Formats: sequence, C-alpha cells, structure tokens
Amino acid sequence: MTNYALIAEGLHTYYGKSHILHGVSLKVEEGKITTILGRNGAGKSTTLRSLVGLTPAREGHITIFGKETTRLAPYAIAATGVGFVPEGRKIFPSLTVEENLKVPVDRPGYWTIDTIYELFPRLKERRNNKGRQMSGGEQEMLSIARALLLNPKLLILDEPSQGLAPLIVKEVFRIIVRMRESGMSVLLVEQNVRMTLEVADYAYVLNDGEIAFAGTPAELNADQERLQSLAGVSAERWEI
Amino acid sequence: MTQLILFNVANGLIIGAFYALMAIGLSLIMSLSDVINFAHGGFLAVGAYLAFTLTPYVGFWGGLLLAPVLTAIIGLIVEKFLISRVYGRDPLYSLLLTFGLAFMFEDGTRWIWGAQSLPYEVPSWLMQPLSQQYFFLTGYRLFMIALVAIAVGGLFYVMSKTRLGLRIRAGTLDLETVSVLGVNVRVLRNLNFGIGIYLAGLAGVLAAGQLGLEPTIGASVIMPSFVAIIIGGLGSLTGTLLGGLLIGVASGLTGVFLPPASEAVIYVMMALVLLVRPQGLLGEEGRF
Repeated sequence: MTNYALIAEGLHTYYGKSHILHGVSLKVEEGKITTILGRNGAGKSTTLRSLVGLTPAREGHITIFGKETTRLAPYAIAATGVGFVPEGRKIFPSLTVEENLKVPVDRPGYWTIDTIYELFPRLKERRNNKGRQMSGGEQEMLSIARALLLNPKLLILDEPSQGLAPLIVKEVFRIIVRMRESGMSVLLVEQNVRMTLEVADYAYVLNDGEIAFAGTPAELNADQERLQSLAGVSAERWEI
Repeated sequence: MTQLILFNVANGLIIGAFYALMAIGLSLIMSLSDVINFAHGGFLAVGAYLAFTLTPYVGFWGGLLLAPVLTAIIGLIVEKFLISRVYGRDPLYSLLLTFGLAFMFEDGTRWIWGAQSLPYEVPSWLMQPLSQQYFFLTGYRLFMIALVAIAVGGLFYVMSKTRLGLRIRAGTLDLETVSVLGVNVRVLRNLNFGIGIYLAGLAGVLAAGQLGLEPTIGASVIMPSFVAIIIGGLGSLTGTLLGGLLIGVASGLTGVFLPPASEAVIYVMMALVLLVRPQGLLGEEGRF
C-alpha cells in the first residue's frame, strides 16, 4: 500500500468573492517529488496557500500525514511536519541571515543552524549580512534553509527557481533531489517545466483552478501538445 | 538664565522619557497588530493607581516592581478577549474598541479611586535635591531617567537577542511568513501587546511619583506619544525613543521663551517632519 504525505480532496478556495480553486484534488506520495505545473493564474500558488493554511479552503478536506488539517492555523499545520518555501522567497530584509534562521520554531531533527551552514557554506559566510543585501540565489537558499529548520517531513516549495540564473536553478534542483534522497516528501510548484519534469515522480497540471492532468512526467512528456497548451510558454523558455 | 534653561531641559527630558516609554509600546502594538491603541493612556493610569494601592502593603519598591507586571497581565487579558477579535478587520473597529476602552479605564479609575488627585509617596531620600544650585535635580528624577534607560535597554536586548524579539521584528515585516515557519502568531501578538502594556504600566508608576495621580493622567500623555512615533519614524524603536526625548526637550525649552507655545511646538515639529521627511527621522520608506 502506498503511503501519502498529503491528500487534498475537492478544494474550493476563494479570494473574497472570486472563486479560484474549483474542486482541486491531489496526493503527495511519501518520499517522492510531486509537482504542480500550469500557466500563470492557474491557481498553483492558491493551492499551496490552502494547503499550508494561509488561505483556507472553504470546501474540501486536507489530510497531512493522516491528520485532518483543513481548518488548522498555519503554525499548527507546520507542526504536523510541513516546511513551506513561499513564492518570492519572503526573506525578512532588515534581519541578518542568522536572525532569519532563528525565526522558525525548533523541531527536533537533523537540521540545526550548524548543519544548515554545512549544506549552505555561503550562508555561514554571510551570516551577519542583512537579508536585503543577499543576491536572489542566496535569498532562495536562505528561504529553503528556514523551512528545513522546522525539520519537515513534507517540503512545499512555490516557484523556487523564479528569477534565478540557470546555474543557481540547477543548484536549487540538486538540493530538492537531495531532500528526496533523505526520505523527505516534496511538493513543488514550478514554472521551469523542463527541469521539473526531469526530477519529478508525479505531475499535476492545473488550469483555471481545476486539475487538467494527473500522471507521470513520462506521460506528460509524451503529449507535447498538451504540455504546451497547459503548462504554457515556459516549457520553451528554458531552451533559449 | 542658564539655570532656567537647564531646569527646563531636565524637565523636558523627563517628560520626554515618559513619551518615549509610551510611544515605544504604542509603536510595537501598531507595527505587529495594526491596532492604534487609544487605550494605552488608560493602561498608564491603571499602572499608576495599582502602584498607589499596592505601596502600603509592599512598599515603594514592591509597588514599582509589581504594578507594571499586573498592568501587563491585564493587558494580556484585554488583548486575548477583546482586541484580538478585531484583527484583520477594518481599522475602524479597533479604533472604536480602544477608544471605548480608554473611556472605560478613565471612568473606571475615577469610580474606584475617586476624581480628586491623590498623593503618591516616593521615599523621601529620593526626593532630596542633589545640589543647592541645581535644586531641580532630585534623586527621583535621575532615578526615573535611569529606570527608563534600563527598561529601554532591556527591550532593545529582547528585540535583538531573543527569539521572541526576532519573531516580533520579523512579524512586523511579514506576519504570514512568520506563521508558516511554525510560529503561533496569536500568541506572538498577545505577548507583544503585553510588552507594550508593561512599558505603559511602568510609565504610570513613574508618572505617579512625578505628576501625582489623576484619572486623566493617561489622556495627557497619549497625543504627544503619537507625535513621538511620527517624528521618530514608525517601525523604528530607536527613532521613537529619539522622537519622545526630542519633543520633551523642545516643549521644555519653548516653555522658557514662549510659554503659551510649549504645547503647540510639538505639533509644529511634527508638521515639519511630515513635510521634509514623511517617513520620520529614522523610519524606513514605504511604511505608512
């Protein structure tokens, strides 16, 4: 029997009166990378916001590691073992790197500030610099590091490669793969379709707040036309 | 003349220290909870009257220690059961709520302790002038300044060295992200409110010794405290401290040369700051 880190069923989410998600259902298998692709405005970020409790779904159910989390506050969802790397990194600009790393609550596990500095030596070098003085790539590392300090069993990332140079994008993906190797479950929202499909074990495509495709990356790759129309121009952008 | 100026500067620094204590608490609450706490002066009055009531039993020092803590506990309760309900709503709700609370505190103190002003006993050795020439420099005034310095220093330590302080600072920048990092933001806002009210309570105890006790004691300090925040810059605690001291001294000095303008001068300063540097002296651009 397959174990799931996260199961979402029939999520309906609204921003005020506008209805964004129309019954989104998805599963994240334990120890695997699951990805959500889709055009801008398809509802990818909203889905993640619903899963971590920032914009709770009005209908539907979310179960994380067997616990019903649909109505829980973000901190309680984090306590079930979820680490979230938000879109745009959301570094605290006037706090130093080290201060940024002290904001997340301590959950016991492998990741401590010391082991984080081993994984990201660059953060150690710049520990006394302010968040705003960091480059985009360094901020992304800091944002991932912050989430890892919760010692999550499920890592949720919202467009971690956004706005980064190709070499750094590769580094980010390498880290994500490494997390899977350590047994972590990963839910990844990305614009970088090509690279994402290389590392993912299972893929969903969102379109207008509905799941338009669910299957393995191989199946999605086999249907280039569908990939183009659903996941958008970003599939090509990588080749330029 | 020199003596008169020094006298007013010293007075101004002390009044300014009150403004700063109040303004820092107001600013903490405003930044993390988006609530403009009009009841802040009411908490100052509660601190002052509690010290008055406790002193016969626990002495001056006991009152000084206990009254701000009890005021902070009242603050935690008020936040949990009243103020937290208006978070995330139209600011009008929190304005009305805290405005109503301010009236309740003022009339509540009048009801319990009476409308007449009450004497608050400070140990007599503290009231002795330190020198004949500078008769206005009593031990109590120096003591007040020292205590305010310790309180502000302690607060700065908490804000820069403890996880609670770091989370409060992070929360004023981006509360959502703090919450997904596992921090219970309801508790964070509650504790932050408590810290702000502790400072108000402490200001109350000190003010009771300096100004005497009246139910309106809080109302007279609240407007200048807002001015201190605007001049110093919202979100900057150092700026708020500076703003408080600055308007205190400016008000004191104006009292020497043009007494009727001593109150108006702080608003003139605020207008100038808003014209020349709208984010405040040490404030960051883009916040308000």
